[in-house]
Amino acid sequence: MILLDRVSKSYNKKGIALERISLHVEPKEFVIIVGTSGAGKSTLLKLLTREEKPTSGKIIVGGIDYERLKDKDIPFLRRKIGVVFQDFKLLPGKTVFENVAFALEIVGLSNKEIRHTVPKVLDLVGLKGKADNYPGELSGGERQRVAIARAVVRQPKILIADEPTGNLDPKHAWDVIRVLEKINHYGTTVLLTTHNQEIVNKLKRRVITITDGHIVSDKSGGSYK
Amino acid sequence: MKRKLISLLRIIRSGGNNFIRNAWLSIAATAVMMVALTIILSAVVLNVTARNAVKELSKKIKVTVYLKDDVSEPRRTIIMSRLKAEQGVDDVAYVDRREAERRFKTNVSEGDKVFIEQALALTGNTTLPESLEVSLTDLSKSGAVVKVAKEDGYKDAVDDVSVGKNDVAKETIERATSAQKYIVRGSIFAAVLFAAVSVLIIFNTIRMAIFTRGEEIRIMKLIGATPNYIRGPFLVESCMYGIIAGILANVSVYTAILSLGPKLQNQAEFAQSYNFFTSTGMMILLLFASVFLGIIVGIVSSLLAMHKHLKLKHW
Repeated sequence: MILLDRVSKSYNKKGIALERISLHVEPKEFVIIVGTSGAGKSTLLKLLTREEKPTSGKIIVGGIDYERLKDKDIPFLRRKIGVVFQDFKLLPGKTVFENVAFALEIVGLSNKEIRHTVPKVLDLVGLKGKADNYPGELSGGERQRVAIARAVVRQPKILIADEPTGNLDPKHAWDVIRVLEKINHYGTTVLLTTHNQEIVNKLKRRVITITDGHIVSDKSGGSYK
Repeated sequence: MKRKLISLLRIIRSGGNNFIRNAWLSIAATAVMMVALTIILSAVVLNVTARNAVKELSKKIKVTVYLKDDVSEPRRTIIMSRLKAEQGVDDVAYVDRREAERRFKTNVSEGDKVFIEQALALTGNTTLPESLEVSLTDLSKSGAVVKVAKEDGYKDAVDDVSVGKNDVAKETIERATSAQKYIVRGSIFAAVLFAAVSVLIIFNTIRMAIFTRGEEIRIMKLIGATPNYIRGPFLVESCMYGIIAGILANVSVYTAILSLGPKLQNQAEFAQSYNFFTSTGMMILLLFASVFLGIIVGIVSSLLAMHKHLKLKHW
């Protein structure tokens, strides 16, 4: 599903964010990427969403070779990858329903299809009764679940969650993790970056540790200390 | 295809929402563009009206070629053909003695008539001379016509040549021609100036809209919106400025034309222009032209703003 072969990314001669990273993620896997701030986790995710280009190396996601990817095809790549951000990135002027529908509107789905799909996804993330609320009326955990709903509403094969629990208290953080597990259970590959030791250790999934731009460990059922 | 149509409708709706969301900026942008388009339209109307007026007034000025008493008909016909061939000549009419007398009697008051008849009796000429009346389409060609009539080859037939019966009319024409030139120059300058101001204001309106919607644009990019889907609403918004400004400019110019209509229709110099501009076809054409021009100005301004501030090349 995801293949990185000796991928490096440097912003200048001194600042190397990632160095010769090689990684393979199978379909339907749940992978946790851990590391301290500045280790290179976010850079890795930005390479996958094509917000950044690698300095060298090969990236293949869902059969798409990024070397051959043209700029005009990037929007269509992103439609196949769901992304959740630490700061939610919701539109405050739109309701929960409208925020989720937004992801469907840009691909040209009809209003009828949107009305049919969005409630199902809101139900999946546990926000059935919040469709008409604005993000400002929701708790942090609920806002993050709206962001997850928006990321998965197009049923992507891959979901990238960049520190989705970073701004949440433990209870809400676990609510979000349970939703991600549920989505993974339905067949979506999940890549999660986090600092939260408790979450990593309790989930017992594959854990990849990045330090100073290098993968220092990659273990199934791993832990984070 | 269906999805593309749905996306297009959403882009149009989003552009409309942007227009309403930035109401004050939209009003300012539309107002300035309306002023620019009104100036351009007025310039067109004034230019055409001035040209028609000059043309109409030129017809009133005639070059009169007085013929000698014994000119034969074939000789007269040759002179008439030569004059007709001259550039700027609309028509050449032969005025015989009887017609000249009739006109004389119509135009001269009773007191003057007695006086002139007595004067003619004293000089021995009991009748007025035959003449050729040359109507012009271009007043500036009158000199050339006079020159032709005074050529040596026609000395046997031509007695005298007179330009214009009415010096005031000639002066009016010259003034109108000069005014027309100033109208064209002035209106081009004003139109360019206001069009530039209009471009600047729309540029800033779109730039502010891009900044206001910065986060939304970033989210749209990250969740897979195409550049056209992101650009579209800004283009629609600027097209709306053009459409509304074009319609309002047309309404203001036609309000002026129609309100002046009753006064202008009775004057031959303006009647033709009035009828020309108030014909249905011309009204529709000018409406479309001003809306089209407004859209072009809007699109150019918005493309400039997007090129500078909407960084869609870096995904």
